[in-house]
Amino acid sequence: MIHFTKEAKIMKETFTYLVGGKAGEGVKKAGQVAARLFADMGRSAIEMDDYMSLIKGGHNFSIVSTAVREITSHYLKADLVVALDQRSLDMHKEHVTEDGVIVFNSDAAEADEGKKVIGLPLTTEAKKYPEPALRLGLGGPSVLAAAIGLDKDRLKALIEKEYARGVEDNLAYGLAIYDLAREKVGTRFQVEAGQAKPMPIVTGNEAIALGAAAAGLDMFFAYPMTPVSSILHYLAAKSKALDIAVVHPENELAVMNMAVGAAAMGARVMVSSSGGGFALMQEALSLAGMTETPVLCILGSRPGPSTGVPTYTSQGDLRFALNQGHGEFPRIVASPGNMVEAFHLAGELLGLAWRFQTPAILLTEKHLAEGSMTVELDPSEVKPAEGLMHKKSKGAYKRYLDTKDGVSPLLFPPSKELIKWDSYEHDELGVTTEDPKIITKMNDKRRRKAEALVEHVKRLRTVNIFGEGRAKGPVIFTYGSTTMSVLEAVRFGELQPTIVQPVYLDPFPVWELSRFKDRKALVVEQSSTGVFASLLKEKAGIEATWTFRRYDGRPFEPAELAAELKGVL
Amino acid sequence: MAKESTPKPKDDLITYAENTWCPGCGDFGILTSFKNAVKKLEERGTSRDRIVITAGIGCHGKIHDYLNLSGFYSLHGRSMATAQGMKLANPELKVVAFCGDGDAFGEGLEHMLFASKRNADITVIVHDNGVYGLTTGQFTPTSERGYRGPSTPFGSIEDPINPLVLMLEAGATFVARGFPGNQAQLTDIFVQAVEHEGFSFVDVLQPCVSFNNTYKKYNAVTEALQAPAKDLDEALSISRRTEKLPIGVIYNIERPVFHRALFGDKVPVRDRPTRETRHEAIRKILKV
Repeated sequence: MIHFTKEAKIMKETFTYLVGGKAGEGVKKAGQVAARLFADMGRSAIEMDDYMSLIKGGHNFSIVSTAVREITSHYLKADLVVALDQRSLDMHKEHVTEDGVIVFNSDAAEADEGKKVIGLPLTTEAKKYPEPALRLGLGGPSVLAAAIGLDKDRLKALIEKEYARGVEDNLAYGLAIYDLAREKVGTRFQVEAGQAKPMPIVTGNEAIALGAAAAGLDMFFAYPMTPVSSILHYLAAKSKALDIAVVHPENELAVMNMAVGAAAMGARVMVSSSGGGFALMQEALSLAGMTETPVLCILGSRPGPSTGVPTYTSQGDLRFALNQGHGEFPRIVASPGNMVEAFHLAGELLGLAWRFQTPAILLTEKHLAEGSMTVELDPSEVKPAEGLMHKKSKGAYKRYLDTKDGVSPLLFPPSKELIKWDSYEHDELGVTTEDPKIITKMNDKRRRKAEALVEHVKRLRTVNIFGEGRAKGPVIFTYGSTTMSVLEAVRFGELQPTIVQPVYLDPFPVWELSRFKDRKALVVEQSSTGVFASLLKEKAGIEATWTFRRYDGRPFEPAELAAELKGVL
Repeated sequence: MAKESTPKPKDDLITYAENTWCPGCGDFGILTSFKNAVKKLEERGTSRDRIVITAGIGCHGKIHDYLNLSGFYSLHGRSMATAQGMKLANPELKVVAFCGDGDAFGEGLEHMLFASKRNADITVIVHDNGVYGLTTGQFTPTSERGYRGPSTPFGSIEDPINPLVLMLEAGATFVARGFPGNQAQLTDIFVQAVEHEGFSFVDVLQPCVSFNNTYKKYNAVTEALQAPAKDLDEALSISRRTEKLPIGVIYNIERPVFHRALFGDKVPVRDRPTRETRHEAIRKILKV
């Protein structure tokens, strides 16, 4: 048996904890609670859940990385690994840092024990209480608490808050594991408390839901699809608190058509899906374009084509997002680089959809949608989504009044005025037409609207630039959740590049990007064919000399990415 | 003394859109009956600004352009979904979806089944002519076996579905069949359907003079139903009759409607929380 004294503690500026086990053992929860624990210490934390498309069994793991400074990616190499079964032990024994430790469930796995590999009878202890399998995951945070020297009362309070169902048994189990870990693992790591006040932890999906809510969302329609189902779950659970109507209809066709119908009656609406479900919504997205109906659409990418790899991440849907809907009409597509940006962007896009009466797409990936991190979110910073309304003094109402900027005033029933929305080409009143002059006029109106949209978007923050001052060096172009990976890799590798992240993808902010034309361009993206690199070339004339692409469904790992970047910077 | 010519009073339920239905089309009877129903509804207390319409794509859909009522001209097979969204956003509106049989039972069947299942408080009027008229006469889900169209030159090899049975089984709370040959009855059915709280479905046997002229047939085989069925079994048995086709309200019951079950008496576009209330709720959710 190995004992560690307090003197043996290893100081950790960034600390990573990994817990792995079967689906149904509470692995994800064991990650969430660990993230909460670090956040309560005033640290920033980020969590990534890797799980398979099944309900029970298989192999799931959750990684939480934490630092006193801002941290924007998990690390694959963990200081503490808690393996609930043999598969987790086998898979993650190589994911332990040099001075790290892997603690495994000795009832479910076998290994030669030593300083770095320590067995604890997690199942034997769990079997002392009813439903042992459900309790197993709690072993994770309990071992963590012991390993970082958290005192028993803090762990007790955490269990009472986070494992409230069957709390007596949970407390008895958790504290027993804590005692065992104290004895066998010891207080091995020193994880300093941070200066920040404890921050909330949200997933990207939650941030999106709350951002749209802050802008005035009235109704949300969705059919479940990974990785954005949790927007539906979250808003359904909060529908009373937020006073938002949440509807789960028969399929995505109903989702989008109901949303369009609701918006035409004046409701601020949002829908969400992933590739396949979004494809089903396309016809009605084009309908929203033609009828000039404001709808905020969330597209959460996973590896495709087709059903692909449902519970993993990808940026392969960029062109799909940009080309949504048949026909020519103004589209808005933007992709957030982290959870805080997701919150603000969801609100901003709902506003733009209303300002320009056209669909807006928030493109994101599983990595951001289902990942979570410590954040500070202020709803008062989100502007209300408002449309141009018809004034009585302006005479008889025309739904598609031909205006200078192409934006026609809105009016909703009930009204004495006639309000006609039309999926066919239509005249100003909204009556179907085949007249070539009117067809031309209406296309011109929609095109002017697109031009006005570009001018409006130019006043927004369309690009994030990190390390602007490094005027001559190479520029790394990236976007979406990959931005988080690149920023963390740069911190890890102590690299000094300029990083440029277009937030808006349509309109594409060429006005911001042109000044980087003469710099050496590198691209990092999660796509096999390099769609983002091709977009940069097409729209901004920037040709990457080097691209780093990952397309195995897993997010970039900062240490690996840093090594790659070092080679080319 | 020369007789003063009095100009024909303008039909204030009709827009300036040119009517392009074939002369003699059954759609005219539906249009007239619906206009009459709107007038009756007004007399009974439903003002016309509270009646909003939507339609699919096909000959039937043109009614959206012709009727001087506010609404949303939707997609093929989707007007029933559009209608449900409209109703959910503003439950104070009476929402009527006009559909074709291809619309309702082909392209968008799922929306029909689920609108019935959840008892969405909308009215669906199906212009059921057993043919895709606007795309030159192909067979539809309600075409008879043996129907010859451009996609079935040797005759349809499928049996038609029975829309009434389908909707009854799916949970519709108001089911009726009408025939433009009996406009007084059709008007009355429309009035009842719009006033019904819950999913109301009206299958209108609509002759298509160009591709599937059924005037003679329906004149011969339809018979007015005196009263709605007492229960679902009777409604199903009435709906399954083939020798004589009963027209009238077949089934009319009460069941809780979807929007009330979802959010009570709230009108989402009117009863919004203030910005401050909403933001306070968000802060509370985010509280550590």
